[in-house]
Amino acid sequence: MDKKKQCSFYILSLMILLWSNNANAQGPPIFTDTPIMLGLDGGGIRTFGNFISKENAKVYIHPIIVPYNITSKWQMGVIAPFVNKVPEGAESRFGFGDLKLYAKFQIHQKDGKGKTFRTLIKVTESFPTGNTKGNPPLGSRAYQTAIGLVSGYITTKYGIYGEIAYNVTSNGLADNLLYNLAFGYPLLPQKYPPKQLNLFLELNGNYVFDGIGNNLHLSPGIQYIAGRKLLFESGIQLPLDEPSTEGQQTNYSLRIGIRILIF
Amino acid sequence: MRSIISNLMIICICALGAHAQAQDYNSELKGIIKVEVDGLSCPFCAYGLEKKLKKIEGVKKIEIDVENAFTLLTLLDGKTISETTIRKKVKEAGFTVRKIEEITDEGK
Repeated sequence: MDKKKQCSFYILSLMILLWSNNANAQGPPIFTDTPIMLGLDGGGIRTFGNFISKENAKVYIHPIIVPYNITSKWQMGVIAPFVNKVPEGAESRFGFGDLKLYAKFQIHQKDGKGKTFRTLIKVTESFPTGNTKGNPPLGSRAYQTAIGLVSGYITTKYGIYGEIAYNVTSNGLADNLLYNLAFGYPLLPQKYPPKQLNLFLELNGNYVFDGIGNNLHLSPGIQYIAGRKLLFESGIQLPLDEPSTEGQQTNYSLRIGIRILIF
Repeated sequence: MRSIISNLMIICICALGAHAQAQDYNSELKGIIKVEVDGLSCPFCAYGLEKKLKKIEGVKKIEIDVENAFTLLTLLDGKTISETTIRKKVKEAGFTVRKIEEITDEGK
């Protein structure tokens, strides 16, 4: 199936679901951030495995994300990734990647019965802690600061999420603009404590300046909320647009993850 | 002079109204309390609300209905809590109170 057909297939499937199903409530998107900082998005540890299949390499990234809510409107967190790179015809490398710290501050909240619209400012600082002495490097060799907005309109029937961030880089790397859009839809009738099965369709983009180009992925995903404190999720990113040179294109990126509420 | 007096009367009426509203929030509630909560749109985030409300002294049981956007607090016999306390806890949990009312078992 070519990329246009893939895209049409997922959008059509989503429209059929919207038309045929009348279930309620969904969880946070898999690749896009959420403006909700409560429950599993407030005091939970999140971890997932990202398997990236490229034409010339296999990459496995496993971050551990620990958020902490200082207030209901202010969250800080840390992202610690482990990276394994297996290039074709070369030795594989494994180690700690670039550490990230982030802060989220909610600037807008409009609540209604069974719905909420929230927006927050998010600042992420990336530190060049990944080992860059060997080849391929496990880090970026650069400090990076991403400043952006995360917004979402979440109702008991569906959720629409958007995220945009400008990433300022150092050490000669090109700046980039990250943009994500997600739509979430539940399949099971809702109840509390939750047992939910959610579907997501996301568009994840990264425009790299200095004439490098645009990366755009279509990302369908599925999520199972097993209770108050546990969530399983999986999604696949399929490239729609990628400026990489021939032989280095991404085939797909698969994510399998879990979120556990601890605080 | 007349306009000054009428202005003062309007201010007094407004102040009394505000005071009456504040008094309403301080009213002590008992039995089963229904709290209508705005912004309650996802079951996975309702846990924070449950956790905050559980911390209120005298609360025996909490039931959350996400679909109909309310929570029921059942208090221990002889215990009361103020509306202000409930409003504070709901706000701390990241939600907005629409309405709080004391209900009977039949009204549940």
